[in-house]
Formats: sequence, C-alpha cells, structure tokens
Amino acid sequence: METYLWITSVWGIYLAAIVFFGGMAWRIYEWSTTPKSPVRLGMFPKPKTKLGRFAKLMKDTFIAPQSAKIEPTMWIFAFAFHVAALGAFVGHARLIHEFPFLPELLGEAGMNTFAAWSGSIAGVIMLAGVLYWIARRTYGPFKNLSVPEDYLLLFLLLGVVTMGDHMRFVYGDIVHAATYREWFLSVITFRPEIPHELLASNVGISLGTHMLFTNLFLMYFPFSKLIHSIGSFSSNLVRSE
Amino acid sequence: MDAQQLTTLAGVIDKKMNRQLKQYIDICARCAICKDACHQYVGTGDFKYLPARRAELIRQVYKKYFDKTGRFVPALYEARDPDDNLLDELYDSAYACTGCRRCMYYCPFSIDTAWILSVAKAILIAAGRGNEMLGQLADAAIFKGDNAEMFNDVMISGFEDIQEEVRAITGNPESQVPVNKQGADILYVALAGAHSIRPAAVIFEEAGESWTISMFEAANYGFFYGDAEKARLITKRYIDEAIRLGVKEIVVPECGHAYRVAEFFYEAWSKEPMPFKVSHILEKVDQYIKAGRITVDKGLIEGKVTYHDPCQLGRNGGKFEEPRDIVKAVTDNFVDLTPNRAEQWCCGGGGGIVAMEEFKDVRLASGIKKVEQLKASGASVLACPCENCRLQIEELNEVHELGLQVWQVIDLVVAAMPLKGKKPMQA
Ligand code: HEM
Ligand code: SF4
Ligand code: SF4
Repeated sequence: METYLWITSVWGIYLAAIVFFGGMAWRIYEWSTTPKSPVRLGMFPKPKTKLGRFAKLMKDTFIAPQSAKIEPTMWIFAFAFHVAALGAFVGHARLIHEFPFLPELLGEAGMNTFAAWSGSIAGVIMLAGVLYWIARRTYGPFKNLSVPEDYLLLFLLLGVVTMGDHMRFVYGDIVHAATYREWFLSVITFRPEIPHELLASNVGISLGTHMLFTNLFLMYFPFSKLIHSIGSFSSNLVRSE
Repeated sequence: MDAQQLTTLAGVIDKKMNRQLKQYIDICARCAICKDACHQYVGTGDFKYLPARRAELIRQVYKKYFDKTGRFVPALYEARDPDDNLLDELYDSAYACTGCRRCMYYCPFSIDTAWILSVAKAILIAAGRGNEMLGQLADAAIFKGDNAEMFNDVMISGFEDIQEEVRAITGNPESQVPVNKQGADILYVALAGAHSIRPAAVIFEEAGESWTISMFEAANYGFFYGDAEKARLITKRYIDEAIRLGVKEIVVPECGHAYRVAEFFYEAWSKEPMPFKVSHILEKVDQYIKAGRITVDKGLIEGKVTYHDPCQLGRNGGKFEEPRDIVKAVTDNFVDLTPNRAEQWCCGGGGGIVAMEEFKDVRLASGIKKVEQLKASGASVLACPCENCRLQIEELNEVHELGLQVWQVIDLVVAAMPLKGKKPMQA
C-alpha cells in the first residue's frame, strides 16, 4: 500500500499539477493569440455601460438565468453540482491550513461537526449530480449527442467523488483532517511523507484511489470541454459585444 | 474523396478560425440545453437539427485535423473526416439553420451555433456543395451591381409607376419617389417589389424627409449562401451608391437580415468604417410619429393586433421597442406574443430557407411554435417587419387556417394616416 500511495498521492500529484497548470496556460495562450472575430457577435438586450456588461457577464456565467428558464431540472442539478464542487474545493483548503476564525467561532468540536456536515452534503450533492448526468447521457438526444469524452469525464468524476465520499463516510471517524494535512503539507512543501495513520488502516486504499482519479481528472481537464470553467467568461462576454 | 481533398476541406476551418469560434468549439459541454431553444429541433424532433449537434460536426473535423488532443486520441471525440457522409448531414443542418440565434440566447456559455455554421457553409462551398439556389440569387445580385446601367431604365420606369401610386395615396401631386438625388439625407434601400417602396415613400414624403431611393435591393443572398465575399459585394453596391450621393444615413427596409448585414457585418467584411449611419425604417417612422412629423389615427385598424419580432431585428438587432411603439400608436387593441422580444420564437422562415424548396417540410414543421403563439394571442392582425417572416407566416396562416391578416408595419402606418388620397389596399 505504501508504494500505491507514493505513486498516486505523492508523485502523481506532482505530475498532475505540472500537466494541469501547463495545460491551462497553453489553452489560455492559444486563445489569447488567436485573433478576435472581426464581426461583433453580441446579442440583445445588451447593457450600454462597462459596469452593466460586467454585471451581465457575472450573472450569465454564475446564474445562467436563460438556461434555468428553458431547462429547470438540468439547471438545478448543474447549479447544485457546481456549488457543491466549489464547496468541496474550498473545504479541501483544510488540508493546508485550518480555517482562521471558524474553530474559534465554533470550537474545535463544532468545527469538526460543521466540516463533517458541509463536506457530507457537498459530497452527496456531487454524487447525485454526477449520477444524474450519467443517467441523462444514456437515452435519447442526450445519448446521441454524447461522445466518449463526456463519459470519460463523468467516469473520472464518479471515481473522485465516490472515493472521496468513501473516505468521509467510512473512515471519517477514524482518520481526521490533521492526518491528511500532515501528508498534504509534506507533499506541497516538497518533503513528501506518508503518515503512519494512513498506513495503519485501509483508508490508504481509498485515499490512493481518490488521488488516482483526481490526478487523471486534473491531467485531462485542460484538454477537455471542462475548460468551459475559464472559457465561459470570455464567451459570455461576447454576448454583450 | 482523397486525402488531399479532405485536408483542403478541413483547412477551411483553419482559414476561418478566430478566438470566438475556437472557444465555442473548445468549451461546449454537450449539455443539450440548446435543444428546446431551436424551433427546428422542437418542430421535427430530428437529431440533426439539435443546435449542438450541428456544431458537433465542425468540432469533429476540427478535432481530427487541428486539435492536439483530438489528433492524439481521435476516438475520444469521435473525430472524423469531412467526407461525403459528414457533408450530407452538414448540408442539411447548416442551410436549414435560420440563424435566429435562439440557441445562443439560452446556452450557458452563449455559444453562437449560427456562427459555427458559417464555417460549415464555407466548407460546403469549398466542396462545391453550397446551396445552388442561394448561390444563383447571390450571383444575380452581384451581376446587377457590375452592370447597373443595364438595369437603369427598367428601375427608373418602375419608380415612376410607384410614384403615381404614391400620389394617388397621399392625394398630393407633388409627392415623389426621388431617384439619384445628390445630397439627400437618406438613401432608402428597399426590397425588390413595390410593396416595400410605396408605403415607405408615402411616409417619407408626408414627413417631409429628404430622401432618395436606391437602385439596389437590401436583401443579401450572399449572406445566406455563406460566402462573405459575395455578401460584401452585394452590400457594397448600395454603400458605394450612398457615398456617391453623399447621403448622411442609409435606411434599410422591413427586412431582418438586411439590417443585421448593414449594421453589424459590413464594416467587418470591408475592413473600413462606414461614413454614415445605418437605420432601420421603423426607427425613422417611430421618430416621425413621436416628433409629430406624421399623424396616425387610432381606430382605423380593426381587430386585435399583435407583433412578431424578426430574430435579426430583435434578438440580433436590438430593435424591440420602436416597432411596438409604432403599432401601439395606431391601435389601442395590441397584444404581445408570449414569449416575446429576446425570447421570441423564430417563425422558421429566416436564413434564406424560404428560397430553398428542399427544406419546405422542415420549415413548415418548425413553424409550430409560432402557430401556437399566434393562436394563443387571439389576434386577427399580425404586424411583422421582415419579408422572410411574412412569407413563412402567411404560409403557416394558410396551412393552419389561422385567419390572420399579415401586414408590414409601414402598411399599418399608412392605413392609419389621415391622407387625402385613396386608401391603399394592403400589399
Ligand atoms: C463558471 C461558470 C460555469 C458554468 C456556466 C458551467 C456550466 C456547466 C454546464 C452547463 C455543464 C453541463 C453538464 C453536462 O450536461 O454534462 C457543466 C459540467 C461540468 N462542469 Fe461546469 N460550469 C462552470 C464552471 C465550472 C468550473 C469552474 C468547474 C471546475 C471544476 C466546472 C466543472 C464541471 C464539471 C466537472 C462538469 C461535468 C462534466 C461532464 O458532464 O462531463 N465547471 N458545467
Ligand atoms: S447549450 Fe451550449 S454548451 Fe450546451 S450543448 Fe448547447 S451549445 Fe453546447
Ligand atoms: S440559430 Fe436558430 S435555427 Fe440555427 S441552430 Fe440555433 S436555434 Fe436552431
């Protein structure tokens, strides 16, 4: 298990980070060096002021009110998924540093309860979102429109989320944030170590697999449609041009 | 097709590439939120008309030839060649698209499928598979531009006939349809046919406007065909004329794409700024009414009146309120369609589809949403400032026995003007 963890949860992370950041930089470079369309592609209603355009951009990107109107079910799942993903992402910051203020506010035990609840909710929502998307892509026009890329991403995501949930729901009471923090800090400070607590229980398998999927997901991210995470801002801005 | 040909066709994508297009190709989530936005997909249920699917064909070729990951693992993206199979489907999905951009309105990333399809049309043209009818109409317009003297006499005698009709309507023997008037303020670029000139002339003359009529039509089949160079040449005919006559403003008629072409596309095609502004005729009419330059009486139009936003004028042109204000000035019995303005359903007649017989079935099926809207409104008169929309809606009117009168907005205005001459019949 130690070898598995070294591969997935130490060296794999370094590799994924290089590919992810390199890939994203390459994407942005490609976009920014391709000349803009000479034709104005905006549509109406179109805000007149810069501030108005910015406000519309934010609204269209983060709320997508038009999409909500035409496909409410899809919108609810997509919105819940993205918010949960953001929540989970922020939650992972505990791996680096305990949130300032929060433990003082909630107390040590309160903080753990809060994290347990918020993390669990995010984990469940993400799982529901991924399962919904997978289900949706199995029939009718959604199936016809899907290409292997879509299933691959959802499969990787399913791996990330289920293994994350597994760690939380099965080992949540056995292994605590502090242990993971010890491991993660060692990795990002380039003095990698694998704490004994991780080797002492089977949580190592879950963590390793969670990281395996995460690394694959992140390495593919810049080369997939998931670059909508950055591209949606400029494409939505074009709407007001 | 051999490999060389396939590479050449795929190369069209590279030639047409720009940042927006690249992002549209790169980021689509294939979420299919756009599916119910498209009247053609909704009306037919045919997968090839699903907006994201139309774009997907271009994406597949792009992935195979130009995208690093796509070339590395083509299977992941179903990347493929622009072979006959692909081109067959592409022909239908590109030329049927009315360019309404309703899909863009609802897409979470505002992906402009119609813009992606402009590349599709360029590929089809390069493969010798552009739509013949649209191509011929475009070439005829360019021929007319190159041989203007040939058409001069016919045009002028036509304008003289219209001038007689205008005088009969206004009851004023001085009313004119000015031709080649140097230094006029406005060049009015009409459509082929007296119906788009007569009421406009009545309004201009009654408003005391300084105007002159163009020798050319505002319709642009080069735009529908998908050839930017042809489209530019067709537009250039009246742009040059406007420069020669020294006008301050070009006014386009009740035609959706004519406004979009003149206001949004031409400068990008010609790469030089236009020395005058472009207005839609209804902007002018709205100003005349509000400034009291023409008078309209309420009560002369009978029945409940509704209004259809042509996609190119509304969602894509931003003229939502001017036409409505005009209609509301001629009647108190106005009802809007639901949904309206930016969310207005495309009638199904845009993008040159009314000129392509082969798409008749799709076109009529795709009008179902418009029919539902019209029925629900309970209106008996429809004001609609776009020729293609009117052709389509008149056909839907017959097929579905809606009993609707379909009017140009300027005809409604003339009918509501207290004029000395004889009331014109609706065009
Ligand atoms: C900020 C604006 C964003 C918008 C409007 C947006 C919108 C969407 C939409 C419409 C889908 C389609 C779901 C489907 O049918 O598959 C989607 C999927 C997804 N998005 Fe986003 N997204 C945004 C940002 C992000 C960000 C920042 C991430 C970063 C992690 C992200 C990750 C994902 C993932 C993982 C999926 C599921 C992929 C799949 O279905 O294969 N998104 N998003
Ligand atoms: S709504 Fe936009 S992102 Fe979704 S499939 Fe359609 S074009 Fe792609
Ligand atoms: S522009 Fe209109 S017709 Fe074309 S794909 Fe989009 S919704 Fe359909």
